[in-house]
Amino acid sequence: MNLAWILLFLPLAIAAANQLILKKTGLAPLLSTASALGTFALAVMLLGKNETSHFAWATLGDFSINIGIKLDQLSTGMMIVVTGIGLLVHVFSLAYMKEDEAKARYFTSLSLFMFSMTGIVLADNFIMTFIFWELVGLSSFLLIGHWYQKNSAADAAKKAFLCNRIGDFGFMVGILMLWGITGHLGFDQMKSGLAAFQAANPAIFSSVLSAAVLCIFCGAIGKSAQLPLHVWLPDAMEGPTPVSALIHAATMVAAGVYMLFRLQFTLGFEAFEALQASTVIAWTGGITALVAALMATQQNDIKRVLAYSTLSQLGYMVMAVGLVHGEAGMFHLFTHAWFKALLFLGSGAVIYACHHEQDIWKMGGLLKKMPITGFTFLIGFAALIAVPYTSGFFSKEQILEAAHEKEPILFWIAAVVAVLTPFYMTRLYVVAFLGKNRSENASHAHEVGPLMLGPLVILAVLGVIAGFPFVASKFAPAYLQPEHLVHLGFVTYVSVGALAIGVLTGFMVYAGKEKDPISIPLLQNRFYVDGFYDNFIVRYFQDTFASIIAFFDEWVINGLIVNGLSRSAESLGNRFRLIQSGSLQGYAFVFGLGVLIVVYFIVFGR
Amino acid sequence: MLALLVTLPIAAFIAILFGAPARLTAIAASAINLALGLYAAITWQCGCWTFSLPVLAKPSLHLAFGFADGMSAVMILLSVIVTLAAVLSGKAPEGKEKLYFGSSLLISAGALGAFAATDLFFFFAFHELALIPTFLMIGMLGRGDRREAAWKITIYLGLGSMVLLAGLVWLANLTGTYDMALMVKAAHQVDPASQKGIAALLLVGFGTLVSLFPFHSWAAPAYASAPAPVAMLHAGVLKKFGLYGLLRLAIPLVPEGLQFWLTPLLVLLLGNILWVGWVTISQKRLDSMLGNSSVMHMGYIFLAIAALIAFPANPLAQSAAVVLMFAHGISIALLFGLADRIERSTGTLDLQELGGLAKSAPGLAFLFGIAAMASIGLPGLANFSGEILVFLAAFKSYNGTSGLGPVQITCILSIWGVVISAVYMLRAYRKTFQGPSVAATANADDLTLADRIPATLLIITLFAVGLYPNLLLNLLK
Amino acid sequence: MASLNDYLLVSGLLFAIGLAGVVVRRNIIVVFMCLELMLSAANLTLVAFSRFHPAANGLPDYNGQMLVFFVITVAAAEVAVGLAIIVALYRARQTIHTDDLTSLKG
Repeated sequence: MNLAWILLFLPLAIAAANQLILKKTGLAPLLSTASALGTFALAVMLLGKNETSHFAWATLGDFSINIGIKLDQLSTGMMIVVTGIGLLVHVFSLAYMKEDEAKARYFTSLSLFMFSMTGIVLADNFIMTFIFWELVGLSSFLLIGHWYQKNSAADAAKKAFLCNRIGDFGFMVGILMLWGITGHLGFDQMKSGLAAFQAANPAIFSSVLSAAVLCIFCGAIGKSAQLPLHVWLPDAMEGPTPVSALIHAATMVAAGVYMLFRLQFTLGFEAFEALQASTVIAWTGGITALVAALMATQQNDIKRVLAYSTLSQLGYMVMAVGLVHGEAGMFHLFTHAWFKALLFLGSGAVIYACHHEQDIWKMGGLLKKMPITGFTFLIGFAALIAVPYTSGFFSKEQILEAAHEKEPILFWIAAVVAVLTPFYMTRLYVVAFLGKNRSENASHAHEVGPLMLGPLVILAVLGVIAGFPFVASKFAPAYLQPEHLVHLGFVTYVSVGALAIGVLTGFMVYAGKEKDPISIPLLQNRFYVDGFYDNFIVRYFQDTFASIIAFFDEWVINGLIVNGLSRSAESLGNRFRLIQSGSLQGYAFVFGLGVLIVVYFIVFGR
Repeated sequence: MLALLVTLPIAAFIAILFGAPARLTAIAASAINLALGLYAAITWQCGCWTFSLPVLAKPSLHLAFGFADGMSAVMILLSVIVTLAAVLSGKAPEGKEKLYFGSSLLISAGALGAFAATDLFFFFAFHELALIPTFLMIGMLGRGDRREAAWKITIYLGLGSMVLLAGLVWLANLTGTYDMALMVKAAHQVDPASQKGIAALLLVGFGTLVSLFPFHSWAAPAYASAPAPVAMLHAGVLKKFGLYGLLRLAIPLVPEGLQFWLTPLLVLLLGNILWVGWVTISQKRLDSMLGNSSVMHMGYIFLAIAALIAFPANPLAQSAAVVLMFAHGISIALLFGLADRIERSTGTLDLQELGGLAKSAPGLAFLFGIAAMASIGLPGLANFSGEILVFLAAFKSYNGTSGLGPVQITCILSIWGVVISAVYMLRAYRKTFQGPSVAATANADDLTLADRIPATLLIITLFAVGLYPNLLLNLLK
Repeated sequence: MASLNDYLLVSGLLFAIGLAGVVVRRNIIVVFMCLELMLSAANLTLVAFSRFHPAANGLPDYNGQMLVFFVITVAAAEVAVGLAIIVALYRARQTIHTDDLTSLKG
């Protein structure tokens, strides 16, 4: 158990040491990487443990908020993902950020992120989840805004934090409601509390629980960037690319899914069957998957394509949770983490090689220039589009099965997404890696160094094997039944068919093209959602509303009421001023009069 | 000992008047006071911290200090910490050192006296004592529209105190004593009809002192134009007097009266959080934004008080209010101190003229970032510990069976304030520290070691309470 | 023999004349003399009460007469101070008329 506490607090200690002592020495990157290695080793050691341990964080009489650690298949498996990808990203960053001035700050933030993410995963109660939930928001803010002098990066960081805050509003309310319903905050005690509530109030049980679950789901919407709060994730690509791989593809954005599954797991799956909230969750996920995939088809920035693809895959996972097939979602989370981290790090290598060129139309022919990167990227690409017997295939299959079984319409939506995914990924690959160099930067690109290639190769291997039962059943953060993992049937045919259609059309449309033959402004502008938020919600609604209120505050409350009061006090004072004639004898006269009155009352008054 | 704590700043003030070096004396006195205050907070339960000096025989009046419960100890701790930080971070204008540091010490003495007093008269009188130097400092050494701000705060707080005094006198008449402990024991003598009246007077009186909506418009201009130590001491410490008074007197003495006014109070505190929150969003200057934000955050403490009124014997709410008072005091003092430092570096606090300060002053950016995060309730910093307890307190009686009550609905709406505060704080941070450097910030100087000491003191406090709130909660037991 | 009331009547008259002088006269020296008149009225009252309210042993109550001596001596000192102030005032303002001395006006 002590290992788990070390696992939690080691990155925090490293972050503090980096910030306070090592900032100027240049040791910070190495120390952070060493701590990532340490946490990975600890995570491996903890695998398969089932324990809990806690201490009181805030005690008030018989009520206390605890900080605790809960180890089970779910959390230890998730820790493998977090620390494993974390370690590889640290190593990759050593090379990627070598020339950055603020390396120390970058690695300090990474360590802080590792601490926060570990906290979410290991938490044994909802308050602790919330605490670390907010802290990952902070570390994401710091890392997106790493190049804070760029206006776009600073704005993206702010946007990410605020979108998460909006989600957290619901999350907090949900936690409070759930606390009221079950009477507990800890995961272990909640189930019995809920059962007692159900027994006492069978009539309203489902609606009250639905309300609470939906509120909590708001938190997941923010963190996992589901519609309508998805806008921050593509902008978050302003951060350094390794960060996008770690935080905005593999781990933090998956925290929403993890938390939802933890909630289901805690309260029992049977409570979620036929709950209205589950339907809402499933549909939110399905629609996000579809919309994000559509938007991905028309993006030109290599990282933005991947970001929308992440959104779309997260939509899949959320949908699976909503269909009360959380294992499928968690399985997809597990496989997706590896291959998406691979894709992002691959794109990082490409961007690094092309001198920070991110537009795919200015790349081209990179496979020849950087064969290892290109090949590993191809593996990630294959896993993402679910080529049979890559990891993505197994997990996507599970989700499609679940949808097929529960909700046919969602199944067909998911199938459309399964066509779109190979389409936009083929577009990306064909344009960026095949054909001929289309810019100066691309023609000067050459293979990156071993510190970057190492993580890519390891991730490529994992991207293939992570879905096989012998890996997944051991490491995945879900209770999977190996015999069910591969199961040929109708769903498989749909999935493979979709894959074939997507790849073929993608290839036919984009092979050998110099510029995008398709132009759909609606998709390029991401359905105008960002513009709507920026211009309407933020500028008109919030700011104008704020100015109006400030105007009222200034002129009505302050002007009329307050200044009115002070004016009347002033005029009253002016009246009294007349009495102060300054004539000494006048004063003496009044004084004498006063004495007379006092004497009168004393003598005759009783 | 407790009397020493209160009289030390006064003694230092007198010493400064007679020519002792102002800054050094102030720092020395505050440092000793910090040590004393820490010691007092840890050992307040021993019963050895009482002091009583008869002043008048009839009506019986004692200059008496003591710790009625942990709340006073925590407030004393808050006062001594903020005082030291305030005198350390303040920079007096040339030739005004005596006035500057002397007034700061007097404000501190007033706050300490009010929090330590166990006698109603001195409880009130010490607070008034602290207000006089506040007015003077704003009027004489402030910036911007200092005269108007000084007048406004004078009129507001004067009227508020008057209303408050009426309530207190009424209360003292009904209970027949000035000793606050005896008053609480005689709470049954306050009949229901008077309860309503007294509760209204106390709510308005104390409320004005705490800038309860709609009596809040003195606060932002006053803090914006006050010199840094005054803003720190008033917003951080002295303002908490009103909340302290409500918790100390109103809650135990007129519970039913407060019940009667619960709904209006809920509406007003939402005014603080949402209305003033929106007002804060539209501010164009860092100082007035901070001033408004401090008004807004009072709403959360009022929410805790409302939870305490609605669900009597709610230990969560009482502790939540105290923790949040403490946390807010520290964080707002830190923000005002650093904002003053920004102005000294760049010469402006207008958000439009700032930008990219993190490049030239990374230390300032780091510390201000922590302060801003504390103020928007980031976990790990003290304000979060307070806020989460407040929310839990408001949901204390909710069990799902009977739907959401008014306090819970207010609580949910207040949680939206967490989003609002993130909006304005991050926007200010974005405009001040991030983005490309501009003329005002290109050559701004960073914090010196001496500047870091007060900020570090406050930040350590924020972290201590934020990372392990039991440190503070154990004092309350 | 005159009764206590006669003394008190004279004293009251003296006091009233003094007060009227203080309020009405414009010359500050006269005002000052009238003040002295009021003090004498008070002294007269004290002596009268001392005479007509004897102590338990039949002797007059000397406390009252003691007080009169104090008043007379203090008044002598006060006259000295008061006249000095008036002289200083005259030097500063070139007038001793109360109508011209209104710097207390608010």
